[in-house]
Amino acid sequence: MSGSILSQGFLPQVAFIIVVGLTFCGAIIAVFHRNILYNVLGLALALAGVAALYVFLGSLFIGLMQLLIYVGAICIAMVFAIMLSRPVHLPKPKRKISKIATGVFAGLLILGVNIGVIYKTAWQPAAERKIDWSVKTIGDFLLTKYVLVFEVISLVLLVAMLGAIIISRFNGRVSS
Amino acid sequence: MFVKDPILLACTITVVLPFLSFLTIICYTRKWEKVSCSISIGAILISLICAIYLFIASRHFAEPLQYKLPWIISGKTIIPFGFLVDHLSMLMLVIVAVIASLVQIYSLGYMAGDPGFSRYYAFQSLFAWAMMTMTVAPSMIQFYIFWELVGLASYLLIGFYYEKWSASQAGKKAFVVTRIGDVGMFIGLVILLLFYGNLSIVGVNSAAVAKQIPAPLITISAILIFCGVIGKSAQFPLLTWLPDAMEGPTPVSALLHSATMVAAGVYMFARLFPFFSGSADALQFALLIGTITMVLSSTMAMVARDIKQVWAYSTVSQLGYMVMALGAGGYVSGMFHLTTHAGFKALLFLCSGVFIHHYHTNDFFVMSRQGARSLKVPMVCMTIGALALSGVFPFSGFFSKESIMVALASHPNKIWLAAGLFGEVLTAYYTFRLIFVMLFPKEMEETHHEEEHHEGEGILYWLMGWPLIILASVTCVLGFFEKQFEHYLLGDYILAHGVEHGAEAAHAGGHWLTITAISLVAIGVAVAWLEYGRKGASQEGFLSRMPAIEKLFARRWYMDHFYRWALDMIIYSGFTNIFTRNDRRVIDGGIDGLCRGTEGSGRIASFLQSNMVQYNIFVMVAILGFVALSFLG
Amino acid sequence: MNSLTLYLLISAVLFSFGLIGVMMRRSLIAILVSIELMLNAASLNFMAFNKFLSPDTSIGQIYTLFIMGIAAAEAAIALSIFLALFRQLRSINIERARELRG
Repeated sequence: MSGSILSQGFLPQVAFIIVVGLTFCGAIIAVFHRNILYNVLGLALALAGVAALYVFLGSLFIGLMQLLIYVGAICIAMVFAIMLSRPVHLPKPKRKISKIATGVFAGLLILGVNIGVIYKTAWQPAAERKIDWSVKTIGDFLLTKYVLVFEVISLVLLVAMLGAIIISRFNGRVSS
Repeated sequence: MFVKDPILLACTITVVLPFLSFLTIICYTRKWEKVSCSISIGAILISLICAIYLFIASRHFAEPLQYKLPWIISGKTIIPFGFLVDHLSMLMLVIVAVIASLVQIYSLGYMAGDPGFSRYYAFQSLFAWAMMTMTVAPSMIQFYIFWELVGLASYLLIGFYYEKWSASQAGKKAFVVTRIGDVGMFIGLVILLLFYGNLSIVGVNSAAVAKQIPAPLITISAILIFCGVIGKSAQFPLLTWLPDAMEGPTPVSALLHSATMVAAGVYMFARLFPFFSGSADALQFALLIGTITMVLSSTMAMVARDIKQVWAYSTVSQLGYMVMALGAGGYVSGMFHLTTHAGFKALLFLCSGVFIHHYHTNDFFVMSRQGARSLKVPMVCMTIGALALSGVFPFSGFFSKESIMVALASHPNKIWLAAGLFGEVLTAYYTFRLIFVMLFPKEMEETHHEEEHHEGEGILYWLMGWPLIILASVTCVLGFFEKQFEHYLLGDYILAHGVEHGAEAAHAGGHWLTITAISLVAIGVAVAWLEYGRKGASQEGFLSRMPAIEKLFARRWYMDHFYRWALDMIIYSGFTNIFTRNDRRVIDGGIDGLCRGTEGSGRIASFLQSNMVQYNIFVMVAILGFVALSFLG
Repeated sequence: MNSLTLYLLISAVLFSFGLIGVMMRRSLIAILVSIELMLNAASLNFMAFNKFLSPDTSIGQIYTLFIMGIAAAEAAIALSIFLALFRQLRSINIERARELRG
């Protein structure tokens, strides 16, 4: 689980490259494919790849949570939304070239900016580092230092659930 | 633990069984009336046996026996739950158990065929549980909790015929009015808790309280706690709820509103008697309240035409007597009057229950015209009860009132004694007014159903009859046990507290007092005989020649009017108005304003929506990117 | 190879893919998919900084967890809004969602 085993040697390197490749493939399918269902499946693939990257980064726990929450819950919810609104059968208008151009331009611009930032910054590790990957520490932090944030997130989730139920239940007009 | 200690076992059984019976009936057996009433009566009978065992077993206790389980522990304050077994609590426990079981048996006849039969028995069990647990409470907190539960049971039983508007109103009134007193009591208890740090009854009664709390605070808290007595025992400013409480079924009136629940206030007074006697001012206050109550309610009873109202007013006035006795320092006489009163007042109510059940009216003039005297058993029993109530010699009331008078006579201020003796005249007058009207009707209406009842209602009639006979015989003999009673009650009191008992000393020179009291009762009875009993009597009281006073008495000294007026002026047009406005203007207005603000700003912002989200994003991203690039470059 | 820069580059690429999707696609669900990609790129950044720079390696993980929670709430709300919109317009095309204009 600790990063050192996965970061050295030939085999992990190959695995790493495969994971990154799969992630990008998933992202490309998620963004460019015209079938909405394939988009979601591509997203699932990309998210699973990111989960694997988390494992490479040393946190098996977060990787599993990623699989559980994103792939297991959010993607499935999207599939349900697709089934309920049936966009697959809707007519697919031709893509406008202007839109593709603006999108690609903006994407490349931000990519360039990001790469510039990444290479121009001198990244300094913190002077003193506590390297503790255990789940217990995360739990301790969640219930002590970050307990307010934790509670707020819980509240937000609750409100979101209620809101989702109310919004999707009303037929016709939402406002009274 | 239970096996080794039979007293603990008996306490637990006594207290828990009625509660189990309540739960069972309310949850499972509401459909099966016979099962419900057997469960309830079985539970109360077993409780009664245990209570009698405890009563006998506690005879020789020198020290109160306490069983405590810590319930809430907060810092240094420990609030226990448990039992306090001493002479006073066991006496009260037996009174409650006896009256409750007799009333439940009686109710088999009275409530037969009522649609709420099971519900009735469930509430009876609830009441028995609350009252018994309150009686044996070792700390004032437990006492207070069950005090309120007793109030709840009372509310449920008064409003038993909830379809009837007046009954539900009366239940509400009883609940709210007693609550006023309870607030005072609670504040008093909190003061005690803050300054003494402990609410166990033995602790509060001990001499250590006086050392820890300054004397003015003792007086204040004692008077505040006495407010609870005022509410529960229907004393002077809050006495109007009790006559209204007669809307409930008659056995309920007998059980709660004459014999046991209203006596709970007096019981608390006696329970904390050593504490109260730590403050002479508080005792003086109690004496004053008791006297006012006694005189006022006696005058109200003189003009009432409803048989239950008469007994209700007389209950209030007898409670006034008890408070007077305790206020004058007559611990034993107060408790003795409580005991005898429980017996004969339950008897009176149960008798009137038979009449009401039979004639379907509450007006005793109408009853008498329809031939009430032909119901032999209740009539005889009621006369016995009435004799006891007015304090005629061989009956229990004579002895207890006599001892109250002795206690009052020992008080330095003789005005209380005069008031007490005056009250005796009034009591005798209004009691025998009712009895003579019932016995010697002015004109008889020929009633044809007179023969039916003896055969037709045989079992039910005797189900109601036997409790009457038991109570009547108790009333006849109880008075002669005054010495034993005093011995039993004082056994622990003198040993444990060593407080000087005033009534003892004055007992010797009290012969003239007895003679005065008897002659005054005789005067009262004679006046009643002249106006209602003798042949050709007008059956109109001397008060009818003074319409103003009669109206004053009949309207309860306009106390209800005053309360209604105060309620309208202060609560409705004062507080309610302010709160309503606050609600409408501030709260509703604020939320409406928020909504309108959100809606309006949403409308304004929606003009910015140009249906081209993605181009908007593009512009945003492009600007962001160029700014970042310029920083990088 | 296993350096901070590599992870940051991966996350930058993922973010750009997400951005392109948001700008280009018409279907609301596809836009949501792209937003999820961008969110993931952000949390990948957090995890990378957590691994190589941060003073305490628990904090980045906690941030990532919070981002997941927010993403779940956002997805729930967004999907229910899409359903409501679909019932009204029989379409989930972003260019047809003109009714939002007041």
